[in-house]
Amino acid sequence: MSCESNDLKDYYFGEAEPGARQRVESHLETCGACRDELSRLQLTHAALGALRDEEIPRRIAFVSDKVFSPRWYQRLWHSGPQLGFLSASMLACAILVHAFAGPRPVAPPASIVTAAVVDQAAIEREVGKRIDLAVTRAVAHSEQRQQKKTVELLQAADRKYELDRQSTLQAVTASADYMKRALNRDYALNNFGSGQ
Amino acid sequence: MIFREVEDRDLIEQARRGKVEAYNLLISRWEKRVFNYVLRLVNHREDAMDLTQDVFLKAYQHLPKLEDVSRFAPWLYRIAHNEAYSLMRKNRPESELEFEPRSSEPGARMFPIELSLAVDGALNRLTSDQREAVVLKVYQGFKFEEMAEILSCPVSTVKSRLYTALDLLKDALAPVAQ
Repeated sequence: MSCESNDLKDYYFGEAEPGARQRVESHLETCGACRDELSRLQLTHAALGALRDEEIPRRIAFVSDKVFSPRWYQRLWHSGPQLGFLSASMLACAILVHAFAGPRPVAPPASIVTAAVVDQAAIEREVGKRIDLAVTRAVAHSEQRQQKKTVELLQAADRKYELDRQSTLQAVTASADYMKRALNRDYALNNFGSGQ
Repeated sequence: MIFREVEDRDLIEQARRGKVEAYNLLISRWEKRVFNYVLRLVNHREDAMDLTQDVFLKAYQHLPKLEDVSRFAPWLYRIAHNEAYSLMRKNRPESELEFEPRSSEPGARMFPIELSLAVDGALNRLTSDQREAVVLKVYQGFKFEEMAEILSCPVSTVKSRLYTALDLLKDALAPVAQ
């Protein structure tokens, strides 16, 4: 530790850090100059202590006066519970008023009304346009579906007609064959029977 | 010391709620110390008395602004410092400050008059910053950190002022401080 350091004065006033205090105490054991310096500090301090505090000439006291007393809002501001209660009350009142009075429509300025009308008309046009488009699409889709169904019905009818026709043809063919065989048999019976 | 601090806190809280009696009790605890602090700055008893009253009036008005009640002492002394320097600047420029010899003031002293005069003279030869550092440390017993708060400057500056002042006082009082 250096003899020039202010650590000695810090130590003397009791404001040295614990480490510095130990260093100063170790240094004082070996350094006579610093011990002398410490003694001079003590003597100077003792001399300064000879100048005692004086008594105050007049006692100071204030009287309770509204001028000096804090205002109601100052007291309120510095009282947490009171401020909290007031805030809660105001919030409750605001909720009640809102519940009973309800929101009132506010007439907007003329320029805003015009803008709103313009916007409304544009919106209506756009909506009409989209509706028309949607209807057109729906009709087309429906017509397409109907046409497809008609084709399917026609094809089914054709198939049924063809089946019926073939069935009838087969029946006629079978009848014709049967009659042919019957005629041939009758013919054969008649010819061979008369020839005996 | 802790008990005393707690009591001060209670008094401050009551004073904040407008209880003047509590504030008067708080004043009675601090008025002598504040008076002597201001007296050693302005070196005039009547001015010191008026300043002390102003300090406590201003402190009462600004008490709601005191955020940390445990820092009441540095806060109060900061007000006192500002009031004293305001008066000193108003009365005379800093360079022309000349202090009255306090030996002419009324009041009995309880110590040898020679030593008293020597100390008084040695203190008055210091600059106002150095003298205030000595008063706050030696006579008022503040820590360096509190002094820095009162004087609104770094701790290193406080130490520098105090140690320079002590070196000067050590030389000035060497003949009488044996």
